[in-house]
Amino acid sequence: MRKTTLAFVVRRLLHLVPVVFAIAAMNFLLIKLAPGDAADILAGQMGHATLEFTEQLRRSFGLDLPLAEQFVVYIGRLLRLDLGMSFIQGVPVLDLIADRLLATVILMVVAIVLAVGVGVVLGVVAARRRGTWIDTVISVSALIVYATPAFWLGLMLIVLFSIVFDLLPSGGMMKIGADLSGFAYALDVARHLILPAATLGLFYVAIYTRLMRAAMLEVYSLDFITMARAKGLSETTVAWTHALRNALLPVVTLAGVQIGHLLGGSILVETVFGWPGLGRLVFDALLQRDLNLLLGILFVSSIVVVIANLIVDLLYGFLDPRIVHK
Amino acid sequence: MTPFRLIALTTAAFAVGALLAPSAEAQKRGGTLTYTYQPEATAMSTISTTAVPVALISTKIYESLLEYEGAGMTPKPGLAESWTVSSDRLVYTFKLRAGVKWHDGKPFTSEDVKFSIEKVVTPNHSRGRTYFGNVATIETPDTHTVVFKLKAPVPYFLRAFQPSETPMMPKHGFADEELAADKIRQAKIMQNPIGTGPFKLKEWKKGSHIILERNADYWKAGRPYLDQVVMRVLPDGAARAIAVEKGEVDLAPMNALPPAEIQRLSKLPQLVASQEGSEGLGPIMWLEVNLREKPLSDVKVRQAISLAIDRAKLVDVIWYGQGKPARGPVVSGNPTHFDKTLKPFEYSPAKANKLLDEAGYKRGADGVRFKLTQNFLPYGEEWVRQAEYIKQELGKVGIQVETQSLDMGGWLKRVYTDWAYQFTSNFTHNYSDPTIGVQRAFISTNIKQGATFNNSMNYRNPRVDELFGLTARLEDGPERNKAWAEVQQIIRDELPVIFLMEISFMNVWNKRVKGLISNGISMYTGWDQVWIE
Repeated sequence: MRKTTLAFVVRRLLHLVPVVFAIAAMNFLLIKLAPGDAADILAGQMGHATLEFTEQLRRSFGLDLPLAEQFVVYIGRLLRLDLGMSFIQGVPVLDLIADRLLATVILMVVAIVLAVGVGVVLGVVAARRRGTWIDTVISVSALIVYATPAFWLGLMLIVLFSIVFDLLPSGGMMKIGADLSGFAYALDVARHLILPAATLGLFYVAIYTRLMRAAMLEVYSLDFITMARAKGLSETTVAWTHALRNALLPVVTLAGVQIGHLLGGSILVETVFGWPGLGRLVFDALLQRDLNLLLGILFVSSIVVVIANLIVDLLYGFLDPRIVHK
Repeated sequence: MTPFRLIALTTAAFAVGALLAPSAEAQKRGGTLTYTYQPEATAMSTISTTAVPVALISTKIYESLLEYEGAGMTPKPGLAESWTVSSDRLVYTFKLRAGVKWHDGKPFTSEDVKFSIEKVVTPNHSRGRTYFGNVATIETPDTHTVVFKLKAPVPYFLRAFQPSETPMMPKHGFADEELAADKIRQAKIMQNPIGTGPFKLKEWKKGSHIILERNADYWKAGRPYLDQVVMRVLPDGAARAIAVEKGEVDLAPMNALPPAEIQRLSKLPQLVASQEGSEGLGPIMWLEVNLREKPLSDVKVRQAISLAIDRAKLVDVIWYGQGKPARGPVVSGNPTHFDKTLKPFEYSPAKANKLLDEAGYKRGADGVRFKLTQNFLPYGEEWVRQAEYIKQELGKVGIQVETQSLDMGGWLKRVYTDWAYQFTSNFTHNYSDPTIGVQRAFISTNIKQGATFNNSMNYRNPRVDELFGLTARLEDGPERNKAWAEVQQIIRDELPVIFLMEISFMNVWNKRVKGLISNGISMYTGWDQVWIE
């Protein structure tokens, strides 16, 4: 890595600190706007609880303190990188997140690699065959997938591949109680990963296909492509070595922006497939007003998103060396 | 004989034995029972929360002093092998079974019982004070005897010793500082349980599954039959149904499947869908009415609302037939306390219109008499459709309803903390005795802002308070039943809530699973009698 790039990374990381804290503060205030708290929910789940019981719970969570004091306590803990205990589950928030983070990251990375990979290939093919039936088929399929709700797509994939053909498991992350290890374990997880990753990725495949097609067509109109063709290069070489790299920039930009979206989309996919990831944890935490857990997950996710954006910025320089990080 | 041949011969002998064994109802050892529920348990003890998923899993690990038989929940020996009650019903003496061990090998003693009730259940279980608020002292004359002395008789005392309600917990499993009210939910044992029950926690992969394994040292010889109980987290209702249909999951307990899916699955030959086994819970659903609000404070208006709702249609169309019209505050399935002379609620929009006219709420030019705001329980799709149905029916008699959607936190705050609602659907349990589950919603001392599932309606009737005072003391018998009958009649007439339906808990399971239904809380028992064919 060049020296300037290294300096850029360090500077960007330092900038992240206030950004992440601003996000944390905003999260806290936004969540506090929602009516009801964890003591209400916990007492509600038990069917019936006395007032003393509910208040005892509220005291034990520190929810009886004035809002400003709660905020100071929260930020104070955050500065010590202490995410606290989950109200509802009674275990450290960090443990809960650590338990789930890997599952979500695996799902997201596979989905995004699938989406970018397939989207780029289909987009390039569609652009090269512009106006032919291949272009029409790709474009129309992309439109249909784009318009299909993810939960419905997921259920249909389960019906098709799990029930009708009986090829893949319908949910979960691994075969329970099989005590697999090493390669067999990885293979088992991979089998469970196919349907959820496809469900999460397909929507983005559609977006990147359309984006890539448009970007390729734009690059095709530039002079250096005409130059390459004039040199007598084959159309394949022109497309995959000259045009592609230049057309990739908008796709990478969008992929970076969509890391945050992908976290949101994973809530749905994790729900349909029973995938033990962060998406569902955040959803349950929100419904149960599990303040510490919710804030903890949002804090960790915001770090994941800003780091993903930093990686995208670095990728720009790799794809187009004219972009220099200063 | 070589070791190999020995194994081969033994295997063959077993194979022949299996073929010759009477196959009809011979319980088989081994196998794994997999069930699915949503949401996942948040702890391994009902001390932390008595929410359904926690009660489902923790009752396989923890036991109580007694077990119960049949829908009527007849007490029978459990960790206590016998008990005596004094004639004034103030002294209960339990003889504990010898040779019972905790999952970590330490012996179970009377000290553990005293500790569990005094330090854990009474102060921390959400119903702990209801069960043991009247206990004066607990004595332990020897390691296998426990004596409860009560300040006043408690008619349901022998029903308190259910595994989800009064789990026995090991004294040595808690550090002293963990017993503080604000620390008990974070105690190590809430996540790493040590019980006496038929199963032990083997693995808990949060968000994915929980595995319980057979307790080899269980005090019932030869039990449990199953090797493992596995709980699988499948958050989507349709996905749970698919898993049951495909045989990936053996059991979907306690309404784990959406009603529409149950209707479809119950027709499959390999599955059973049954409402049996939840009689001890007595679920009931009603429209909770804020009596502080006009015109709901007028009993004629409430009677009109009651007359405008077709409960039979509600059960059939909205709930796919999984329930029956409610008759009053005590569920009709309660064999002892339900007053059979109570008349079913009538459906007559014509009478409703007439009552509203009489009460002085004439229709305006637009046909509307008055407007109301409706909330509903945020428990899923059926509750939304029920709210829409009620809005439609009330519209027909000139009551314009605006329905408002809230999530659980918002709903609890609006109904119980702010009392800022007009009417809402609600759902509670009678439990095995109506003093536990019915009284709390209707006595005036329970009008407390901020406590959940209490008298949020602001219902006050001195006679009702007096009758609940009586039923809480009297021994089960004609006198207590007379008081119960009177209180049911008053509440049915005054309608502090509009009774809608007795919901059935549906359990769907694969036919290869046997012995699941054993009493009125079958899903909250230890399942040592369950086996797989």
